[in-house]
Amino acid sequence: MSAPTAPTALANKFLTAGIAGLAVTALAFGFSENQQAVALAYLVGISYWTAVCVGMLLLILIHHIVDAGWSTVIRRQFEHGLSAFSWLFVLFLPLLISAWVKPGLIWPWMDLTHVLPGGHGTVASDILYQKKASFLNVRMFTGMTLSFFAVWIWLSARLRKASFAQDADGDVKWTFMNRKTAAFGIPLTALALSFAAIYWMKSLEYHWFSTMYGVWFFANCIRAGLAFGVMITYWLYMRGDYKGIFNTNQLHCLVALAFAFVVFWAYITFSQYFLIWNANVPEETFWYNIREHGDWMWVGMLILFGHFFFPFIYWLSYRRKSTLRPALFISCWIAVIILVDLCYNVLPAMKDAHDDPLPFLSLHLLWVLTSVVGVGGICVAAYLRSFGTAKIIPIRDPRIRESLTHHEATAPETYQLEAHS
Amino acid sequence: MKKNYGIVAAFDTTPALYQACLQVRDAGYTQWDSLTPFPVHGLDAAMGMRRSQVPRFSLTGGLIGFCTGMSFIWWANAYEYPLIVGGKPYFSPMFAFPISYELTILFTAFATIAGMFLLNRLPMHYHPLLKAPQFVRASDDRFYIVIEASDPKFNPAQTRALLEQAGGKDIAEIEE
Repeated sequence: MSAPTAPTALANKFLTAGIAGLAVTALAFGFSENQQAVALAYLVGISYWTAVCVGMLLLILIHHIVDAGWSTVIRRQFEHGLSAFSWLFVLFLPLLISAWVKPGLIWPWMDLTHVLPGGHGTVASDILYQKKASFLNVRMFTGMTLSFFAVWIWLSARLRKASFAQDADGDVKWTFMNRKTAAFGIPLTALALSFAAIYWMKSLEYHWFSTMYGVWFFANCIRAGLAFGVMITYWLYMRGDYKGIFNTNQLHCLVALAFAFVVFWAYITFSQYFLIWNANVPEETFWYNIREHGDWMWVGMLILFGHFFFPFIYWLSYRRKSTLRPALFISCWIAVIILVDLCYNVLPAMKDAHDDPLPFLSLHLLWVLTSVVGVGGICVAAYLRSFGTAKIIPIRDPRIRESLTHHEATAPETYQLEAHS
Repeated sequence: MKKNYGIVAAFDTTPALYQACLQVRDAGYTQWDSLTPFPVHGLDAAMGMRRSQVPRFSLTGGLIGFCTGMSFIWWANAYEYPLIVGGKPYFSPMFAFPISYELTILFTAFATIAGMFLLNRLPMHYHPLLKAPQFVRASDDRFYIVIEASDPKFNPAQTRALLEQAGGKDIAEIEE
């Protein structure tokens, strides 16, 4: 088996779209009256694609730590996805620079002279800031953000190197190396993604606290990784690369995992809401109160029904988990709703003169879309560039045979993956 | 003479059994079964079996559990003995949700177990196959196919010929 033909033309298209999206976002930032809106939209875009890549990283790490069999066949595609991390770091630099050049533009606590609404003085005189000041300061923010990307990029490099090297020499030592990487990589990645969620998104409203926030972001990361995994599967199957490789049972496992995380996400998100609702402490409830203002109420309902009930009920049946079209449909749906969920967490930090959040449906949404296309175009192009450099599956992985014949006897007829529901 | 229950044929290896199942399936039989000492991957498809109906029981149980949790908490706290706890409303799906969720899982589990026993008709204290002395090896090192006489396509001579042609050994008729 040789490496698949590199989709160079497709990669260039994504790269062009990415550069165009970034250019429009940059222009909007330059000319907009509300620079904060564009910056927050860009934060949503970069958080979204970070979630996708972190999800893929976690899926690989979990695969190695439990010595999984069936997922060997899809793992290679996630490894290609990890190549986007270094680009995400480069794309995050504008936000880091803004933290130093224009503190308070995005994260209000960075500007100590920022006046709090309602006559509560400035950030510097705010007791809730003072107590958190050793954690919430620009130096910590910068150092932590650099270390998140250092962790993700370093782990990705190790996983990719071992996996690609095994294609050449078939040495089982690479599998053991990956298992060790997974053992220390899982806690490192978990800490990095939790702190990233706290610094990048939660600290936008630094009065607020929620112990569920890191795990909420984790749930979205895994769901995003799996959703894009299903999309890649569909693309490779339609392209012909996965014919005779990917069968119904592997798809069913992949989608069943995504289905499990539909429930996990709901459990976490409900718990966060329920604990705050039940305790009724003003420092916590205000976060949900502003999210019931204006059209944010309906965004919340969209997340409740679109992020949980609809995918849950739709994927309950076995047939829809084991056929490509329904799996793809809900995966695309989830990929969109995750973006809405991130908007719901980030954008209400923008306030009007009465300290009410600006509405969801506004021009700012356009900058969210240009940011997602901009960052996404670069990430997908990075994936596609990496795609042509290695074989379609880790051909000499010790588990590859088990993965290819997952739950199947040798009958060739059972290898046919239904493309139509 | 007692009624005929069916015809049993033995196989020595899983591939032989697998191929024989394909032939019996394609011959159009519906009332038949294969017996193996361990699960054989892909045999369900080779036998042309449909997916189990147990999930329907599970879904029903889950829905009943969820509704039980919601309605019971509403009945207890908002209807039969209205009670304010922690300044919250008499009833809210928020605080009823954890209990409803637990009952969804509990009733789903009950319904799944009950549905499985209803559908596979266990425990079964008597089965005609137990009379065949060689049959004990189905739990050790041999594989069997049994075609029942109740099958519309059953014909003692033709069915026996099919099993012979499929490579079956020690073919025997079993009495009811």
